[in-house]
This record gives sequence, C-alpha cells and structure tokens, in this order.
Amino acid sequence: MKPSQPNKLPTWLAQPTTPVPRAPRHQVNFLARNQRHVQALLARLAQPAPVPRATHWQLTPPMRLLQLGLMLLVISLVHSPVGLWLLALLIGGQLLLLSPSQLRRFIVSWALSSLLALSFIWPSYWLAGPSTLLLFWGKSSLLLANAQYYRVTTALTDFLTALKAWHCPDVIVMTFAIALTYLRMLGNYLLQTMAALDMRTVAPTKHPYRLIGSLFGQLYLKSYAYALELYAAMEARGFNGHYVTVPTTHVRWRDYLVVSPYVGVLLVLILRGV
Amino acid sequence: MELIKTAALSYDYPQTCGLDHLDLTIQTGEFVCLMGPNGSGKSTLLRILSGLAVASAGTYTFDGQVIDAAWLARPAQRQQLHQQIGMVFQNTDVQLFNSSVAEEVAFGPRQLGLSPAAIDQRVTDCLALTGATAFRDRVPYQLSGGEKKRVALASVLALNPTVLLLDEPLNGLTISAQTEMLALLQQLQAAEKTIIMASHNYQQVQTVGDRFIIFNEQHQIAADVTQAELAAQTTRQAELMKL
Amino acid sequence: MHIPDNYLSPATCGTLAVAMTPIWTVAVLKVKVQIKQHRETLPMLGIAASLAFLIMMFNLPIPGGTTAHAVGGTLLAVLIGPWAACLALTVTLVLQAVLFGDGGILAIGANALNMAVIMPFVGYACYRLGQKWHHEKLGLAVGAYVGINTAALVAGIELGLQPLLAHSASGAPLYCPYGLNVAVPAMLLAHLLVAGWVEVAFTLLVFQFVKKVAPTNLYQTPIRTNQRPWLYLLGGLVLLTPLGLLASNTAWGEWSTSELKTMLTQQHVSTQVPQGMVSGLHFKALFSDYAIAGLPVSVGYILSGVTAILIFLLLMRGLQHETQPTK
Ligand SMILES: Nc1ncnc2c1ncn2[C@@H]1O[C@H](COP(=O)(O)OP(=O)(O)OP(=O)(O)O)[C@@H](O)[C@H]1O
Ligand SMILES: [Mg+2]
Repeated sequence: MKPSQPNKLPTWLAQPTTPVPRAPRHQVNFLARNQRHVQALLARLAQPAPVPRATHWQLTPPMRLLQLGLMLLVISLVHSPVGLWLLALLIGGQLLLLSPSQLRRFIVSWALSSLLALSFIWPSYWLAGPSTLLLFWGKSSLLLANAQYYRVTTALTDFLTALKAWHCPDVIVMTFAIALTYLRMLGNYLLQTMAALDMRTVAPTKHPYRLIGSLFGQLYLKSYAYALELYAAMEARGFNGHYVTVPTTHVRWRDYLVVSPYVGVLLVLILRGV
Repeated sequence: MELIKTAALSYDYPQTCGLDHLDLTIQTGEFVCLMGPNGSGKSTLLRILSGLAVASAGTYTFDGQVIDAAWLARPAQRQQLHQQIGMVFQNTDVQLFNSSVAEEVAFGPRQLGLSPAAIDQRVTDCLALTGATAFRDRVPYQLSGGEKKRVALASVLALNPTVLLLDEPLNGLTISAQTEMLALLQQLQAAEKTIIMASHNYQQVQTVGDRFIIFNEQHQIAADVTQAELAAQTTRQAELMKL
Repeated sequence: MHIPDNYLSPATCGTLAVAMTPIWTVAVLKVKVQIKQHRETLPMLGIAASLAFLIMMFNLPIPGGTTAHAVGGTLLAVLIGPWAACLALTVTLVLQAVLFGDGGILAIGANALNMAVIMPFVGYACYRLGQKWHHEKLGLAVGAYVGINTAALVAGIELGLQPLLAHSASGAPLYCPYGLNVAVPAMLLAHLLVAGWVEVAFTLLVFQFVKKVAPTNLYQTPIRTNQRPWLYLLGGLVLLTPLGLLASNTAWGEWSTSELKTMLTQQHVSTQVPQGMVSGLHFKALFSDYAIAGLPVSVGYILSGVTAILIFLLLMRGLQHETQPTK
C-alpha cells in the first residue's frame, strides 16, 4: 500500500543504490573461513551421542578415560617397531567395532591430523635420518589414532562423568560443564555476528583487526552478561556451591579386568627401564 | 520488474527441514509479508535471500543472477550482493558490533568511500528516520531491545539497499513505535525499495503489506495472496490472527 | 604452540604435570577468594574457558595471505584476573586435547605451563607495571608480546631438551628429534616475527573495545592484602617438586657445559645406524642395555607424579568442605 503522507526521506535514500565501482583485487576472506570453522565446531558439539556398542565389555566412562591415558603412556614408552606393530593391531581391531559412519569420520580426521604431524617432523630427516623420522611418525599416528578413537566413541558428557567419577573437585567439573555448554552459545553468537558483519561488508576491509577487536570485545561482554545471568539462575535454584548434575558412575570389577593388561604392560615396561 | 525468483528451493538443517520446495517471484517495489507459525521457515528463507545461506536444492535468482555457493565464494560478488540487500536480524543483539551507535551506523557508508561530511549526513538522517537520535553516542551493547531494533534498522538503511529483509522488526516495539516504523517502511517502498518482512502479528501488518506469503508447519507455502485477496478469505484471516 | 603427544618424553610430561599441581592448587584458592567478592566469577570461569577456546580457534589474517591465531593468555589475565585466567585456560587446553584433538593429552602439563601460567602471568605483570607508570596500553602491548614469546621460548626449551634427555643407546632421539639449537630458534622466530605481533594487535584492540564500552567489566586488581603466605607456599612447592625429581634422575645432574656441547654436536652431525632397524632385530639386546644401573628413571618420575596428583586431590578434597553444605 502506498503511503498517504508526503515523502520525507532524505534524497540519498530516495535514490536507487549506486554500486561502488571497484578494482578487482585479491582479497583474503577471513570471515568466510572462520564461519566455516565455527560451523564445524558447532556441528561437532551438536553431534548425537555415539551409539553404544552392545557388547558385554563396554567400559564405563571413567575407565575409558583411564584406558586412554594408559594406552597413550604405553605407546610413548614402547620404542620397538614390533611392539608398536602389535599396538597398532590392537587399535585396528577396536576399529572393526565402529559403525561405518563412525569409521569414516575416524579415518578422515585421523589421516588429516597424522599428515599434519608429518609436516612438522619431516625436517628431522636431515637431522636424524629416515629411521627416526619413520619411527616418530608411526608413533605419532598411533597416538593420534587412539585419541581420535576415544573422541569418536565418547559423548562429550561422558568426559564429565569420568571426571566426576575420578573425584575431580566439583568446582572443576562444573567449570568443564559450563565451558562445554557455553562453547555452543558463544560459538553461535560469534557465528551470527560474523554473518551480520558479512551482510554489511560491501568493500574490502581495510582494518580487519579493528573489526576483530570489537567482535571479541563484544563476545567478552556477552560472556560476562551470560555469567551474571547464569549465576542469578543458579542462585534462584538454590545453588550452594555443590554442583551435582553429572551422574556418578561406579566402577565395576569387569572394568578393572579390562584395564589390568595395560597396567601390566606398563609395569613391565617401567621395571625393565625402557 | 522481476527481482527475486526461487525455483523448488529447499533447505535442510542437519537434523530438520528448514524449507521445502519453495517457488516464488517477487517484483521490485513490492512489500511482502512472510507469515506462519514458529519454526515454519521464515527466517531460513530470509537467510537464503540475503546470501548468508545457500539452498540445499533448487535455485535462487536475484536480479537475473543465479546466486549459488560458487558465486558467493567470490568476495567482490558477495559484497556487491550485500550492498543491494540489507537485513535486520531476528536477534538484533548479534547485529551491533561497534562501540557507539554513531559508529555502528557509519560502518557501512564508510566503506563506500564517501566524504566524512556525507557519512555524517547519512548517520544523522538514518538515526532521525528511525527515531534513534537520542542515543547517538550510547554503546549499542547497552541499549534496550527496542532501541537495538531501531539502531539495527538505521545501520542497514545507511547503505541504501534496494531490498530490505526484515526479520520480525516490530517485536519489542511499543504500539506507537510500530506505527512509526511501518510508516517509514511505506515511505521506503514509495522510493522503489523492495521490502520483505517476516512477522507473526497479522494485526500489525494487515494494512501495510501488498502481498502475504503464508507458510505452514511443513515448511511449505500454504498461500501466496495479495492484500485484497486475503481480505476476502475470512477463515484464513482468523487463522492468521491466532499466530 | 600446542605441543602434541610424542614430542615430550613421558618423564618430562610427568615432571611438568607435577610442577603444575601446586600452581593449580594456589589458583583454585585464589579464585575462591575472588569468588567471594564477585560471585559471578564462578560461572565466568567456564564461560571464559569457552571464550578462550574460540579465540584460539579464530583465524586472524596476516599480510601475505596466510592466517595465524592468537592465544589470548594476556588478554584473559587482564579481563578476568591472572589466576582465573590460569584455570580457564587450563580447562580450555584439556578440552582441546581430550575432546577436540588440539595438543597432546599426556603433554597437558607442559602446555598448561606455557600457555596457562607463563603467558598470562608474564603478560599481566607487564600490564601492571605499565599501569603503575601510567602507560597502561603500552604495558599491555609489551605484556602480550613478551608473554607469548616467553611461552614460546619455554616450549622451545622443553622440546629441545628431549634429544638430550631421552635417546636410545646409539644416541637416536626417542621423542622430539630437534635439539635446542633447532627447536628454540624455530619457536622464537615464528613468535617474534609473526605470532607475537598478531597477539599484540588482537589483545590491544579487544582491550580497547572493552575499556571503552564497559570499563567496569575489567578485572579490578584487589587491594593488596597479606599475600606473603601464598607466595611462599607457591614458591616452595614449585621449587621442591622438580628438585625431588632431579635427585632421582642422574641424567639431569650430569650435565656440564662441555658435555652439553658434545651431546648436541653428536646429535646433529653424526650419521647414525638406522635405529628402528637395530631395535627391531635385536629386540632383547636393546632391553638388556637399558635395564641397568639402579633405579630406572621413569619409576622415579611416575612415583612422584602419582604422589603429586594424590597431594593435589587431597588438597582439593580438604578445600571442598568449605563450600559444601553442612550435613
Ligand atoms: N541453526 C539451526 N540448526 C538447526 N535447525 C534449525 C536452525 N535454525 C532453524 N532451525 C529449524 O529450521 C526450522 C525453520 O526455522 P526458522 O528459524 O526459519 O523458523 P521461523 O519461521 O523463523 O520461526 P520463528 O517464528 O520462531 O522465528 C525450524 O524447525 C527450526 O527448528
Ligand atoms: Mg524466525
């Protein structure tokens, strides 16, 4: 419907948009790249909990974490190719239990991280020779595979359960829980602000750092506001410094049985003074 | 003139559907109201029209140019599109990222290579139009919800876009402020700007919109009618009143 | 600057984790005091950790078309206080290592020392000095630059010591293969030339924004109360733990400058037998070579690691009763 009153728009606004002529020049679009990264992070955070494998030997979260730590320690301490080979077979066997989609996710991120590891280590070829390079890379890949396997098969909340079960102080468990929750909120906020910034960027940015400064300044103030609100909400629900939303899991004898070989190997390694 | 055209446009979020096979055409100078229940896909459509998201399937054509991921990947083209299209977000909080309201409004024009006097003129004009002159030197972060809405609109207007995408711009405004803003939008329409506004308050917009696109809960278009046509459909009007 | 696993020997990881425990303990105590004054500090710890996560993830453009990322240690120290920043950054580092694959899991102690302790505290000290001399921004800029470079230097030393600390019988490095002469210059160069400046620009601009928009949201340095006991406790513990380790590990004590030099030259000049082959073929021989001479190095480390963790847990447990409701 056309307005009844006379038009009082300023002249520049009443004219059609005149596109700015611009010299085509190379621009680094850091916004787009960061938007992709934050999106990937949010997707990772929103990932559904992994489907539990229906095996009798499913470990409880605290034991999974312990197993991961022990496994990494064992790999670090073993220096013989044969030993590493055996350990690789072990993780390979575990991979068989993954669902195809989990396996694909595992392989992609493991391959990427292990290539990244190679890029840091290849100069050592000239310093220490090919065997050191190969051994180092093999071990790095093996460590990365184990860590990645843990990530693929563990829900984010399992990590909190594990911390709680290992008698981590409440303050720290709570800090982790809040960090994970708010990572999603702040990530979303950052993503949307970048979108808004993108919408109003009509020419190459001359001072990207000033923008980034206000982006993160804003994000900090938002965090502060969230903290105030969260504290108010916590108090309103009768918060008294004791944080128990994470269920504690009790360790079963079966868990000890699964973990004991690692401890055994570790002890052997240590006692033989590797 | 045909400005915006979508053909079988769909958008999927990781777990849910956002839009399902949308076909619509919008002419230059139209005032379109998007209506529909919560989660029906209004904001999603605006995100695609603005070039912030790319359709999962189907095509989107703006001013004769097919807008797809490859086209948007080139910064110069993306920026050109964003100069033509301005958007006020549903959550205006995220839209204000400068340290003062005047800075916020000047952010766009400053990139156009205008003289400082011209920039200042634009800031003053935009703030006056949206009734935000009083908080020119305030920090956007500390404004109230309604105040933020006005500043967000001012900062979008300062770039003089051809198309205005407004996601629930009236939310949080008082009745008189809503009337003022609608009057401003009508004036902009008279200046040949195209306005696409998402709203779920039929009472507010029933007299200003030329055309109403109504979504259903299945993320499809349930009806695409002109103001006159809608006025004749009493049952549909009654449904819209309940939104 | 995140050190991945396998670059540091388990012994070094253990030592650094042990060195971190008293610092973490004091940080928790200090933050508890801070919480008493500003109650929102409690949730702020977690939220700041997620903020730090996003900062470390954000690609900043640098001239030449590539990108770098800031760490934000100094910035966080100025915004929420150095002790709270230490805890928040530690939480970030643990999350990154365990759940997102950035930095090593065993190397958490080392990474926390570099990025959650050295960086925020060095940065914050410079900032406070600047404040005292009425050049707050200059102090902050210097702090950000010096902070990240000190952290990089320490990381370089940690890495560079590995070929000396852990090598096979023939001298082939078992962990990080770069000696001090490579690791330290490489780390420093990258940070002195690029990452340091990125950090400075980022820190200053965010600080400026917050200062302009909401100056009250900056961390207010508490009025100096009697801080001596804390300082003594911290200093004492930090000094004592590594000393205990040094005693159990002869390798550490045996260095002299000349030896260090010969070791370094040996490392990088001599051509070696392919070590992997040797150990593969003479599996048993290798083991017997190692299992001699009194207490094995790693046992000492692991025992002290376990002890420190136990002490830490006990301390935390004791503290918990203050906040728990009386039953
Ligand atoms: N970021 C997102 N991730 C996943 N799903 C989303 C996201 N944003 C929206 N959706 C889903 O997509 C659908 C359409 O959402 P959209 O925001 O477009 O609705 P809307 O019509 O704007 O609703 P409202 O009136 O509440 O603003 C909804 O089902 C919603 O749950
Ligand atoms: Mg919406």
